[in-house]
Amino acid sequence: MVTSGAVSSPEVPAESAGGPSDLDFRGSRRLAGPEEWFWYVVAAVSYILLGIWHKFLLNWFVGPVWLVAVVVIGPAVWDRIRGLRRRRGDRA
Amino acid sequence: MSWAAHQFEVYAVQAHLPKKMRGKISFWAIFLGDFTPDFLSKFWVYGITINGRHYGSDVPHKWHRGWPGMGITHTLFMGILLTAAFWLWKRNRAFAIGYLLGYAAHALTDVNDSVGTILLFPFTTLNWTVQTWAYAATIEGGKYLDAAAYYSSLGLVMDVFWLVVVLISWRCLTRDYWRTQVVVADPKVWAWFGKWLPERGLLALYRATFFYGLCRMISWSTWAHVVAEPVINGVKRRGYPFDLSWTGPWWIGARSLPHVNPWIVLPVTLALLGAVYFAVAKLWEPMGRAEEHKRVPRPTQPGAG
Repeated sequence: MVTSGAVSSPEVPAESAGGPSDLDFRGSRRLAGPEEWFWYVVAAVSYILLGIWHKFLLNWFVGPVWLVAVVVIGPAVWDRIRGLRRRRGDRA
Repeated sequence: MSWAAHQFEVYAVQAHLPKKMRGKISFWAIFLGDFTPDFLSKFWVYGITINGRHYGSDVPHKWHRGWPGMGITHTLFMGILLTAAFWLWKRNRAFAIGYLLGYAAHALTDVNDSVGTILLFPFTTLNWTVQTWAYAATIEGGKYLDAAAYYSSLGLVMDVFWLVVVLISWRCLTRDYWRTQVVVADPKVWAWFGKWLPERGLLALYRATFFYGLCRMISWSTWAHVVAEPVINGVKRRGYPFDLSWTGPWWIGARSLPHVNPWIVLPVTLALLGAVYFAVAKLWEPMGRAEEHKRVPRPTQPGAG
């Protein structure tokens, strides 16, 4: 926990010598390596392509929200789909 | 005006803080400082059209950068004034210094287009411009023509220059850097965002301005040179032509205001940038003491109460 005075920052757990732990202070999965790149590239390509034809998207508010939404929601949805598939596979 | 350069320079400032300030300057303050000049002035530059009626400035470049007009928003004077006001209000050194650095970066970068900024206001209301590319915001052309002109001229080179500056300092975009240099300087803000976002979202939020700058640069450039079909001098073309000559592109009339000799602008701008860094370095410790003094509760007088 990083603190300044009485205020706490988001908890940033110490990383083990072997590398970053998988889960963050909320229990959400961290992204690393190729997977992190993948979601950033997805966000960039989709935003650039849509931005070429829909200029209203190219503003300082939508741009940042787009990236955050893709990086937060994308892996969560992917994890859920994978979980469903696994459960179906287990039942079969 | 500059486009993605303003997004990239936020990270350039963050990555090139004086050694004693590393990990102690608010990233959000740099962002806000860099964002303020256009936030205060740009909404009326392009204006809006409702039912065929245009609401906006009559002379966009004069409104944006001139005097009288909102040109004062692009001056160091205004940056210092707002920084001083914030400092007197909150006594927050991390924010005040970051805000001033961000503001200065924006005001100094914008001397490059053909209008420039009233840099030494209130000592002179003449504009300071290097005239590197044409300022092209007009009522008729709006944002589209402005973007096409910028991304066909040395403006594109300016964006790429700042992008390269950030990429050379790529470590400032890493998770480690964010954890050790950015979060610690802004714990309240990151804690607030942390109520809603997981760490990967917080990190994306930190990188978001860079992301936005990069994407808008590619998107507008692609539109201007691949998708758009402008008619220039009666000839329909596929894409706006590039013109990397000084004060280009040739196909648009560069807007201008009464200005000083362009040859003195670059050295003066660099000197001012140096002066800003020198001033904040000198003010760093005294401001720290003042902030500490405010935080530590004063002991009550013996026998009082």
